[in-house]
Amino acid sequence: MSALALEDVHKTFGVTPIIRGVSLEVGKGERHAIIGPNGAGKSTLFHLISGRFPVSQGRVTLNDEDITGLKPYQINRRGLSRSFQVTNIFPKLTVFENVRCAVLWHLGYRYSFWHNIRKLNDANERAMAILQQIGLADRSQLPAGVLTYAEQRALEIGITIAGGAGVVMLDEPTAGMSRSETAHFVNLIRKVTEGRTLIMVEHDMGVVFDLADRISVLVYGQIIASDTPARIRSNTAVQEAYLGQALEAEH
Amino acid sequence: MIFSTLNGVLYGMLLFLLASGLTLIFSMMGVLNFAHASFYMLGAYFGFQISQWLGFWVALVAAPVLVGLIGAAVERWGLRTVHKWGHVPELLFTFGLAFVVEELVQMVWGKLPVDYRVPALLDFSAFELFGTTYPAFRMFMLLISVAIFLVLLLVLTRSRIGLIIQAALTHPNMVAMLGHNVPKVFMMVFGFGCGLAAIAGVIAGPALVTQPSMAHVLGPILFVVVVFGGLGSLPGAFIASLLIGLIQTFAIAINYSLGDALGAIGIGRPISGALSDMWQVTVAQIGPVVPYLMLVLILIFRPTGLMGTRET
Amino acid sequence: MSSTILAAARPNPVLDLLRRYGVWIAAAGLMILLPKVFSSGAALTTMCLMGIMIVFSLSYNMLLGQTGMLSFGHAVYYGLGGFLAVHAMNTIAGGKLPIPLPVLPLVGGFMGLLFGFIFGAVSTRRAGTAFAMISLGLGELIASLSLILRGFFGGEEGITANRTKMLTLWGVRFGPQIEVYYLIAAWCLVCIAAMFAFTRTPLGRLCNAVRENPERAEFIGYSTQMVRFIAFCVAGFFAGIAGGLAAINFELMNAVNISGGQSGVVLLMAYIGGIGHFAGPILGAILVVLLQVFLSDITGAWMLYFGLIFIGMVMFAPGGLAGLIMLHLPLWRRGTILQVLPHYAAMAVPVLMGAAGLTLLIETAHHQLVKTQTDGPAMHFFRLGFDSNTPLPWLAAALLLGGGLWLGRLYAPRLKAAYGDAAHGVEAAR
Repeated sequence: MSALALEDVHKTFGVTPIIRGVSLEVGKGERHAIIGPNGAGKSTLFHLISGRFPVSQGRVTLNDEDITGLKPYQINRRGLSRSFQVTNIFPKLTVFENVRCAVLWHLGYRYSFWHNIRKLNDANERAMAILQQIGLADRSQLPAGVLTYAEQRALEIGITIAGGAGVVMLDEPTAGMSRSETAHFVNLIRKVTEGRTLIMVEHDMGVVFDLADRISVLVYGQIIASDTPARIRSNTAVQEAYLGQALEAEH
Repeated sequence: MIFSTLNGVLYGMLLFLLASGLTLIFSMMGVLNFAHASFYMLGAYFGFQISQWLGFWVALVAAPVLVGLIGAAVERWGLRTVHKWGHVPELLFTFGLAFVVEELVQMVWGKLPVDYRVPALLDFSAFELFGTTYPAFRMFMLLISVAIFLVLLLVLTRSRIGLIIQAALTHPNMVAMLGHNVPKVFMMVFGFGCGLAAIAGVIAGPALVTQPSMAHVLGPILFVVVVFGGLGSLPGAFIASLLIGLIQTFAIAINYSLGDALGAIGIGRPISGALSDMWQVTVAQIGPVVPYLMLVLILIFRPTGLMGTRET
Repeated sequence: MSSTILAAARPNPVLDLLRRYGVWIAAAGLMILLPKVFSSGAALTTMCLMGIMIVFSLSYNMLLGQTGMLSFGHAVYYGLGGFLAVHAMNTIAGGKLPIPLPVLPLVGGFMGLLFGFIFGAVSTRRAGTAFAMISLGLGELIASLSLILRGFFGGEEGITANRTKMLTLWGVRFGPQIEVYYLIAAWCLVCIAAMFAFTRTPLGRLCNAVRENPERAEFIGYSTQMVRFIAFCVAGFFAGIAGGLAAINFELMNAVNISGGQSGVVLLMAYIGGIGHFAGPILGAILVVLLQVFLSDITGAWMLYFGLIFIGMVMFAPGGLAGLIMLHLPLWRRGTILQVLPHYAAMAVPVLMGAAGLTLLIETAHHQLVKTQTDGPAMHFFRLGFDSNTPLPWLAAALLLGGGLWLGRLYAPRLKAAYGDAAHGVEAAR
């Protein structure tokens, strides 16, 4: 049984095809990385899966349930949560509030206006636990907008995992970070996605080969290879299309 | 019927004079100018005052220029300060401005309508049809507004400035990229839009009533026109202006109620209660309601408006 | 928020209780005592109006401040609530139904809720400018309908009722204004508490999240449309209660109460008070009612001042009164507030000069244009008598205004620096 499956997914903007028939299967508990050159459609693919854009053609299933055409919040409620490439938080709310908002639905409080939020111990404790996991516990009372870039990226991940989704999608989690921050972040991602399915887009090949169980290579809207890191590394087609330059750039 | 059509077209063209300025301002600056109808009112009052001193023809030129300058000043020293706070404060600023302008006008010219007369030169009837005359001044209004419409059209499609404006309508960031002085362009666009509104005020003043409430009567209708036509779309604004002008004029001319309609098919009138009001309401009374109904419906079912490309 | 975590560890329950409910006890005490201090009829009427407007503007801020929805038609729910309450009063009095007056605001509230539900379902499908425009359209729609449907809205004259004709409980007939005052005060306190509690619920917090970043809210499981819709219904409910209170207070509802003008006033109140803080609209309602009452006594041009104050607020203090206060809270806490006071005192000189110049200008102009024909050119300005036809007052006004502006611009950078020092010194000391 797969956690997430794409069947021949297409997306066109106007007449321009961006995603040209992607089929992909991600198993439960797998850490899957999607790599590819700029403009290959990685972020678009994320938007299609998470419901931000409607799919032009094809089918997306989450835990064998068809989620094609559902709204983002419906998909999120079914257990798929995502982060964004450009930090997407609630800047004027406190760090704690950012995370607490993200746990509320999944603890069953929904649109409640009859619970006193201070007395929701489960929500408060879970939010605090997540802040500790992402290392922002001592920042909890600051407005999220004043955090440093790296802290905001950590918060972004915190919000994403807070609901306890089984499938977590991270869009370039380490983009724009220094080496040491990246190393710290890889540990963080590994820690917080323990026991979950992870799908991520990432440009840093160090991170990709460090974290991923399987890698898919997306080039010009199509997946040209999907395999274990070792085999991807030695795949000549991938070498030609992308990896050669990418690894070169690393060193 | 012909008169109603003429009046409808006339009213529509006046609306378009205002709507075109509002559309330009919104598309380029992103500001929905709540005070736009106030500049129209200022135009009417300035027109009245200047006609008293120097005659109507001077007023026709001087009043719009003056109002345009005031508009530019408002942009320079008011809107520009608020701009950094975001769109809601900008909207609220123009909202407050409309309030202040109305109060100022009331203070200077009083609460009652002023005696803004049709100039003697145009105070005759243009033609007669079925025993009713049509005033020449109305023909003159129509002429002026059509002329301005044509000039606008020419400028927009044939000149360099027009091309820049057209580009800015669809791609607001372009103006800045092309290296134009954005604050200055904003100031000019705002002033120009206000000037256009003032022209409408000067020529509408004698035919309609020049009074302090004329701005807030017209203001919401103006929004209906701009949103209905599609924010940022001049052709849309044009069609919506004519449509609403015609609808409102015809509605006033028709004296027919729901009760009449239902009576005709044999349904009697309920004796009492709120429903009996519904029965008595005539189309003429519904007239003012129709534009708002149109606004609400179009925003729900076609958020981009009639011809718009941008979501509101 | 921080107090939740701290309070758990705090051992003293009495202190904790006082900390948590002290403000409410103080507010209730103040409301009880106010009529003892200001017992004149005019003061009572003013305070009644304040109570009504506090509820109304707080309900408005549920939309604008908390959920980020700019509405231009909030008076619809206030007005409809009021009209239904007036009709209910007449029906109850006519049928001798055993319903006492104090529950009547609930009737208004349910009317507001009902129409909030109907119109909310239509308008909250969109956000941002589209929502604002729909609210404007609906507001104007109902306002123009109110002039057409005379049976329900009573045309220009409106609908009147008599509040004393209802079931009396414990001998209270709500004839005298003081009894109405206590009724309004009680409802006001209950509504403030309820609306404050709303901000402390999961939905209340999600409203803030939707205001901040609607897209992200969708990706943590919430339909932003549903959040907006519920907030809209609740806001309609409280606006309806305010309308019901108004119906009881005035025993009259007319088309003005449901007009676009009324919607504008509630927006002004909330904004001047400060939409970023829960208590802001309370301050705004109090200030605006005071301005309405006192300025209209002093000057005929009070609406103009009102508009100018609003524009000034939008331009220079977008956080409103509450925002200005919050700006100084950290200075107060760190004890650096004394550092900036001398600078404020210095700044007060040009500000007062400018304000005096502007008011002199407006008053002289107002006198010259409006009152000269009836009262003659002689006028008074702060007990100073002069002739508005001579150039002297104009010259003085221009000098004061110009001088104030010039000095103010000159001094503003130093004031800014002083505030910065006081605030950033705080950061450094930490």
